[in-house]
Amino acid sequence: MEYEQTVTGAPAVSAELAADRRTYLKERSIRYVWFLTAVFGVLTVFFILAFLVKDGILIFAETTPAEFLFGATWNPTGAIPAYGTLPLWVGTILVTIGAMVIAAPLGIACAIVIAELASPRVKAVIKPAVELLAGIPSVVYGFFGLIVLTDFIRVNFSIPSGETWLAGSILLGIMALPTIISVSEDAISAVPKEYREGSLGLGTTRWQTISQVVVPSALSGITAALILGVGRAVGETMAVLMVTGNAPIIPDPIYNILSPIRTLTGTLGIEMGETAIGSAHYHALFGVALLLLFITLAVNLSATMFLGHIHRKQTGTGKGPGRLSLVLEAHRRTIRWGVAAAAFLLVALIVSPLVAVVFALIGVAWRYIPSRIEPHHQQTVAFVLLYGAIAVVLAALAVILGYIVVNGLPAISWEFLTTAPRALGREGGILPAIVGTLCLVAGAIAIALPIGVGAAIYLIEYTRENVLTRIIRTGVDLLNGTPSIVFGLFGFSFLVLYLNFGVSLIAGQVTLALMVLPTVIRTTEEALRSVPDSLRQGSLALGATQWQTISRVVLPSAMPGIITGAILSIGRAAGETAPIMFTAVVFSSRFLPSSLSDPVMALPYHLYILATNVPGADTNQYGTALVLIALVTGIYLVAIALRTHYQKSIRW
Amino acid sequence: MNMRSKPFIAFTLAVVLLGTAFVCGCTDSGTGPAETETISVTGSTTVLPLAQLTAEAYMDTHPEADIQISGGGSSVGVTAVGEGTADIGMASRDLKSEEVTNYPDLVQHVVAKDAIAIIVHPSNTVSDLTVDQIKSIYLGDITNWQDVGGPDETIVVVGRDSASGTREYFHESVMDKEDFTTSQLEKNSNGAVRQTVAQTPGAIGYVGLGYIDATVKAVPVKTGSGIVDASVATVISGEYPIARGLNMFTDGEATGLAADYLAFIMSPDGQALVAEEGFVPVA
Repeated sequence: MEYEQTVTGAPAVSAELAADRRTYLKERSIRYVWFLTAVFGVLTVFFILAFLVKDGILIFAETTPAEFLFGATWNPTGAIPAYGTLPLWVGTILVTIGAMVIAAPLGIACAIVIAELASPRVKAVIKPAVELLAGIPSVVYGFFGLIVLTDFIRVNFSIPSGETWLAGSILLGIMALPTIISVSEDAISAVPKEYREGSLGLGTTRWQTISQVVVPSALSGITAALILGVGRAVGETMAVLMVTGNAPIIPDPIYNILSPIRTLTGTLGIEMGETAIGSAHYHALFGVALLLLFITLAVNLSATMFLGHIHRKQTGTGKGPGRLSLVLEAHRRTIRWGVAAAAFLLVALIVSPLVAVVFALIGVAWRYIPSRIEPHHQQTVAFVLLYGAIAVVLAALAVILGYIVVNGLPAISWEFLTTAPRALGREGGILPAIVGTLCLVAGAIAIALPIGVGAAIYLIEYTRENVLTRIIRTGVDLLNGTPSIVFGLFGFSFLVLYLNFGVSLIAGQVTLALMVLPTVIRTTEEALRSVPDSLRQGSLALGATQWQTISRVVLPSAMPGIITGAILSIGRAAGETAPIMFTAVVFSSRFLPSSLSDPVMALPYHLYILATNVPGADTNQYGTALVLIALVTGIYLVAIALRTHYQKSIRW
Repeated sequence: MNMRSKPFIAFTLAVVLLGTAFVCGCTDSGTGPAETETISVTGSTTVLPLAQLTAEAYMDTHPEADIQISGGGSSVGVTAVGEGTADIGMASRDLKSEEVTNYPDLVQHVVAKDAIAIIVHPSNTVSDLTVDQIKSIYLGDITNWQDVGGPDETIVVVGRDSASGTREYFHESVMDKEDFTTSQLEKNSNGAVRQTVAQTPGAIGYVGLGYIDATVKAVPVKTGSGIVDASVATVISGEYPIARGLNMFTDGEATGLAADYLAFIMSPDGQALVAEEGFVPVA
């Protein structure tokens, strides 16, 4: 008996071992693949950085680093060339601050309404509307800004020209909104129901629950949303160069929002194309691109530190408060009053004493009056303000869309959609541009989605926070903040020239894929994070392997968030002009693309050329804008339908 | 293992669909004739309209030809042809010394001339400007239209970006290489300059001849010999003081389709199209 058992048992054991080993190898190799995708982001950043440094460093043969950074004159083609970037980076910072002043309160308010207050039916209208805002290409924003917004500002503020810091900030604010709203909303929705129920059960109003429980719990996600928004604003090229006037001056006085300004991206956007390769001016522009990256790095690093702080505070794990935060905590009152006094003085000196007093009164009211007003009245006021924010956002969308639809509809005909352009695009249609855009976007997403989702899976599911993940995250952050025009420069110098792809579909797809990669990673990370740990533990406890847990339990649950990321990416890729301008597009091509090495026509570039280079193409230009927006809407509708389906089928 | 949840299948499907769309859309849709010859023309946005119109006309009579035109700027054009990524490079300026060093084999073809017109808002009553007055305005010395015979209005100075071939020519021929006022609004294309001038009552700008239309007013230039309008005729006669050549570059002498295409541009038919678009014929 004993002998028999051993004989029959041995093969079974070795088979089991082999199966174990296979599972182990499979798990290892899957982990390895995701690790590679995660590292990809970092390598890309170093690669881009190396290319920029290689060309940018040479400017210091012409000028000193101090002169380059703090020189007040940017005039690279003057009789005596001057390469001072001070007005450029000050302009970038000012226009971004302005944009966030507009977008942060509006965006967070909208996210709160969508996540907490709106009925499903209202939500079904607002959410797609906001995503549509993301789908409006920057070149359309820029053109709208140039024709409508700057004129509005010029007339209403009675100034000689409406091309101002203010115009840039308004446009950038609107453009940063969808990112802020979508990501904040995901974060707020992910706050566990129990928090709300607990708070409401204690007898608070809904507004008290939202403002004291839900929003603070979602703060890390909201901060991530704001960072993404800043990244969007800092990196925007086409819209900003069309409305800020591009005068390389520092506003005088510095708070003069009606002064023209010039940003770092604007400088690259308008000067790069026509600068002789290898000239001092060319190297100076690569220096500008480097500076842009360093600003992004500074913003992102400080934000990462801030996020880490919140994370520690929330989870209660980690090292506990450091000495600095203990000191800060001890002097909290003093610091708060100090900051308030400094802000008061600053506003009084810069804007006007009257405005400062008004702000101070609002501040005092904010601090002391709520305790005297009944919670329900507070709630009414808060809700009115929140819905007001929604109304502002929807109105902006309605104005921009209405303008394009009204002007664009007369151009639309069957012929317009199915023929190639003629006479510089004044006549004929845009079929090759439609096909080209679809190819560019599909290729970019096909490349970016697997890599991005894989990287996020590795970061969230396979590792704990350590030096490596911090480096990867920083790399992704930096990639996220990298302006699209820089991707364009990189694509041109690396893919088109160095790898000798030529101006081609594949070069554009890769460039666009790199550009949307961080969005895919960040939103997927948020989505994975929002999946409760209990689900993973349950699955693992039942004996599932890690990959089984991820693929069968975690990913399906995180799908709505991942799809949101894909939607945002598609919207961005379809509308971008700067990254494809030097890498993929031709103004006209007689035939549809037949291979990846062919250049293509694309709708945003076609619109850009019609709007700025072809006299007398007004009708077709609005028609192209309308088709571009309709196309993006179509893509969005499919994605939104998919997401709604998931949201209905997932419950925990 | 058929336990995979529906969402995951749907997700996979979505990725596959995207991939298929991208493959089908891009590799199976070649509808051109079997034996097409393709050349690419890239560079200056000022030359682009000219290249596009002539290419369309040429392709109408040569169904096997595929001429692809793209913009990007004069330097993109020079680099692209120099590096071999394009067959013809367009530039609204001559080669710079670095470019001559980097790409010694480039051959220049002057395909047209272009006047640079001074434009103002249609409501502006200014009747004419001397080159010196234009220079003073762009230096920032004259800041009100009153000082040059116009209305009492602040002058909004609009120019091209510092890398523009058009600006470079303006800088040399009008400004004597002196620096522009720092408060100048800078635009990255002719069309954007015209757009700004058309909607800003106090603005002044400069654009190629082809960009003049009813939305702006071209100011005649006062020279020693009289008041000269910006037009094809005055450029040909040499009276209009602010004019320059538009170039196409090839790497070595042009061959094949590129040579045929360049020959077509220089032919009477091609030059007629050049004139139609508002440029000045050279042959």
